[in-house]
Formats: sequence, structure tokens, C-alpha cells
Amino acid sequence: MPVDDPATTERLHRIEAVTDTALAHLKVEDLLVELLDRVRELLGVDTAAVLLLDESGQQLVATATRGLEEEIHQGTRIPLGKGFAGRIAAEGTPVIIDRVDHNTVLNPILREKGVRSLLGVPLLAGGAVMGVLHVGTLSDRRFDDEDANLLQRVADRIALAVRSRAFEVERAAASVLQRSLLPATLPLLPGLELAARYVPTEGVGGDWYDLFTLPSGWLCVVIGDVVGHGLRAAVVMGRLRSALRAYALQGGDPAAVLARLDRKVQHFEPGSMATVLFAKFDPRFERLQVSSAGHLAPVFAWPGEPAELVDLPVDPPLGVKAGLRRHTTIVDVPPGGLLCFYTDGLVERRGRTLDEGLRRLCESVTAGPADSVSTTVMSRLIGSQPPDDDVALLTLRRRADTEVAALDLVLPAAPDSLRQIRRAVGRWLSATDATQDEIADLQLAIGEACSNVVEHAYGPRGGAVTVRMTLDPPDVLVTVHDSGSWRPPRGHNRGRGTLVMQRCCDELRVEHGLAGTVVFIRRRLSGAAP
Amino acid sequence: MTIATVKVHFDETAVHIAVAGEIDLANAAVVEDEIFAAVDNRATRVVVDLTDLRYVDSSGLRILFILAGRLETLQMAMEVVAPPGSPIRRLAQVSGLHSFIELSP
Repeated sequence: MPVDDPATTERLHRIEAVTDTALAHLKVEDLLVELLDRVRELLGVDTAAVLLLDESGQQLVATATRGLEEEIHQGTRIPLGKGFAGRIAAEGTPVIIDRVDHNTVLNPILREKGVRSLLGVPLLAGGAVMGVLHVGTLSDRRFDDEDANLLQRVADRIALAVRSRAFEVERAAASVLQRSLLPATLPLLPGLELAARYVPTEGVGGDWYDLFTLPSGWLCVVIGDVVGHGLRAAVVMGRLRSALRAYALQGGDPAAVLARLDRKVQHFEPGSMATVLFAKFDPRFERLQVSSAGHLAPVFAWPGEPAELVDLPVDPPLGVKAGLRRHTTIVDVPPGGLLCFYTDGLVERRGRTLDEGLRRLCESVTAGPADSVSTTVMSRLIGSQPPDDDVALLTLRRRADTEVAALDLVLPAAPDSLRQIRRAVGRWLSATDATQDEIADLQLAIGEACSNVVEHAYGPRGGAVTVRMTLDPPDVLVTVHDSGSWRPPRGHNRGRGTLVMQRCCDELRVEHGLAGTVVFIRRRLSGAAP
Repeated sequence: MTIATVKVHFDETAVHIAVAGEIDLANAAVVEDEIFAAVDNRATRVVVDLTDLRYVDSSGLRILFILAGRLETLQMAMEVVAPPGSPIRRLAQVSGLHSFIELSP
């Protein structure tokens, strides 16, 4: 078939058209099927198939076919160098088979389907083979060099389309994966304030952080950076995160935990490298144990003092060298003390040295509220310039002993939430000077307010009930709110809840608004100093 | 899930119903059914022992008010055991139940 006759050129354009934006929403497999239909028409053949090299680069996997659907259904895999397709991929050159038989074709599906003649060309991207495109006929046909040239031109376009589409898909997957591996919410811990910032960049790196408590009550804090970008880095990061959690559960100081993780990386993720900072906070948040595997030292700020980098030995990153001795450093954290953990994207900027970045970070950190410190740090170090690399920042502040943090609860407005709310209210109040009677009264008053929300605020679709408690010595202030509208109680023997609420507190206000209802409860604690 | 246990025993003149655990909106209907099922129409006196009730709110209170109303119709006496310092004693005081139903001890 002459390559340059007008009809062929027209058909080639149709192949090109497939790769344009109109089909941009198709998955790689569907895009290929669309292309293969046009290839069949262009060359007047019965079968067409694309096989792509798998991750290992050693096996071709049937990815899309026309006329040979069994290959997909049966998950056909062809070893590199073996058979018809294997030879094309190994040699990177076209192969023509005039007569299919046992000696020339390994794949029984081709023989069973009655394919008589075959032509195959490599899919090349940047000079490297990424797969094979082959076409076949059910009658005898002599494919010639011109057919091969035409198919190769098609193959080049397919390779380009597959590569760019695969790249997009991979980036989307990496981004979703990376997000899913970060804690969705930070744990609420009495006595500790937490704030996190995370800014991924275009390429999707391997930065992550993690926060979790152990059954012993110790809080584990992790921040790390897997070297590399894209899906592979995100996958390795996911594995490190799970493994670190498991090793932390086994116990031991941070150096021991990182040593176990290092051994795991060396054995199961050869070639991967990651920096990790792992810290354990005792249950009262008075003391921090920390070990660094090639990661930047955290910044600390104690009340009334300028912030500094924690002085700790930085051991080599994970995945570098087996059997290293790792170190744990102990940091005593005073009440009101704040610590920042971060990845290098925060301090490394083009046109600024690392030391300048670190100095600026120390100047920005104070022993203030964790969230506002995080905001200040991001503003001073990132500003309006998009960062060159992923940025993760985790800020922890031990509350001064006299402070009791507000309690914030958001739960479904359902009967089953009432018990949970009661428990949380009880726990929160036991950290204050409230007496047992005062705790019981407030549990009852808040319980009644929440029951009202459950019963009267929403239709069958339901909604949320929000409880917020703050200590304003000597008073406890509570708001219970919903975003529905209360209807009057129904049935007999109802409506005593309000009476109960009134008698269990010093002040009760119920405000029905367009956006929902808010119940304010104030109760003075007899033991609390004003 | 909020959990309450209802235990029933009879003596010659009375049905004794002991409720332990917690009562709120989540389980009030179940507790109500269990208590009402325990009383047959031959009883002359119903004793509801709430000593071991750790939490109760107005949904539990409602059960007691309804029970009191029904027992009055059936001409049965009702007594609620609510020791001083128990959650139900406090709730009875703030809700006016104590003026309606005999509380003991």
C-alpha cells in the first residue's frame, strides 16, 4: 500500500484525530481500542493488538485488542525476546510473518483464531521500546515494507498518546494517593495544640507526615520525604508510613524504630531513599524523644526565648547503608513550648541558601498558638511565590498547665451520638475543677439540648449537632447548635427537657435563627477561682 | 449504643423492676417496652428500682411519667427507688417528678 496516496494520508489524519482533545477523557485502554479500529480500517486487516511492557520491563501485557479480545480476558503475557511480539520488543524492529505456525508464533490465541499473516512494529518512546503494535489477517497476505512503514508511523503516534495519557493518569493517581496517606484530621489531644500545613507541587513528591497515638498513650510524630517524584515516590511513601506505624507499635525508642524501618527499606525497597524524622511524645507531653534519618532538625521555641534548631545528631537517610548506629535525643518541653517539624521544601528556595532559609524559619517561629505560628511561618517562608518542592509543616505546642483547650464536637444528630457526647463532656470536665455533681448536671443539660437537636432539628436526611465547651473561670460556657429548625415537640409527656436544662445550669438561652438553633448554657463551677 | 438492663422479679404483692445502666434517646423506647411488659394486670404495686442507673435524661423521665399515669388508671401503687445522690434523684428534683411519684428511701 503506497504511503503517500491521498486516501492513506486522509486515514492517517484520522489516527491523529483520535489523539486530540475530543477523546481526552478516555482511559488509556479505551483510547487504544478507538485507535485500533482505525488501524484496522487503514490497513485492511482483521486483528490489531497493543501489548505494553510491564513495570519489570521483562513482560509484554496485552492492553488493547480488536479481533483478539481473548488476549485481554486471559491476561496474555509474553516474555521479552520470546515469540513474535517478544522478538519485536527485544529487537526494536518490525517483524513480518507470512505464515503463522508453531515455529513462528508462541501465543495459542493467535493460532486458534485462525490468524494467517502478521505484521508487528515496536512502540517507541524516546528511543526506548514501550510495547508492540501488531496487526493480522485471517487470509494469507504478504505484508511489505511499505505496510511496515505505515504501521510504524501509526505506532509512533500511539506511543506518544499512550505516554502522555499514562503520565496524566499516573500524576492524578499519585496525587490522590499522596492525599489519602495524610491524616484527614489531626487528633484532638488535651494538653496539646496541633496544626499542619501541606502544599504539594505539580510533580507530586514524596513528602508526608503522620501523627498517631500508641496504646501506651505516647504520641508519635513523623515527617519524611521520599527521594523522587510521581506515583513511585507516593507508593514508597505509603509503604514507609504503614511500616513505621507497625514498628512504632512494637515499642522502643525512635532510633530503634528507624533502624527497623531502615532494614525494611534495604530489603524490600532497594534503590529507594528517604529522610525521616521520628519523634515520640510522652503522654503528658513533657518530654520528646527524637531521631533523625537525614532529615532537617525541628525548630523549638520556649516561651520568652528566641526559636532555635534542636541540637541533634543527624543520622544517614533510610536506604543508604545497612547496620548503622542510630541516635535518639531527648528534649524536655516546658509548658507553652512549641516545636515545628517540616520538610526541606519549606526552607530551600531557588536564590536562597539553606542556612538563610533556616535562619528565617527560626525568626518566624514563636511560642504562640500552633495555628497562628503555622500561618506566620508559611507566609514568611513561602509568601506569594509557589514553592519549588512539596512543603509539609507540622506544629505542636504543649499547652501551659493552666489552660484547658476548648472542646469541639461535631457528630451526626442521631440517638447513638448522645452517649459519645456525654462521655466527651465528662472527660473534658474532669480536667477542670468541676465537682461530680457539676459534671452530672452539665452532662444532663447538654444531653437534653442534644436530644432536642436529634428529635426536632432535622428531617429524615438528618444533620449534625455541634457542641463547643470553653472554660471561662469560674464559668463553663457551652453552645449546642444545629443547622436545622426545631419543630414543637409532639405527643404527651414531652417538653420537660427545657425545664431540666434550666435547672441544671445558671443561664440558658435558646436562639432560633434562620441558619439553625443555638443553645447557650452557662454553669458556674463552685471550686474554680475567678 | 446506650445500654440499660431491666431485671424483673415478683413477690406476693409487688412487681420489682430494677433498671441499671444508662437511658437516653437511643434506648428509651426499648427500655419503655421492657418495663411495661414486666407489669401484668394482677399486680397491686410496682417498685421501680433505679439505684444502679448511671445516667438518665428526660427521655427516661418520660417513661416514668407515662408509667405513673397508666398505673394510676389501673389502680396500682407505684414506688421509685432513687437513693439520695443518684442521677435519678437529681433529675426527679429538677423535673418535679418527686412531687408526683413516691421516691424512696
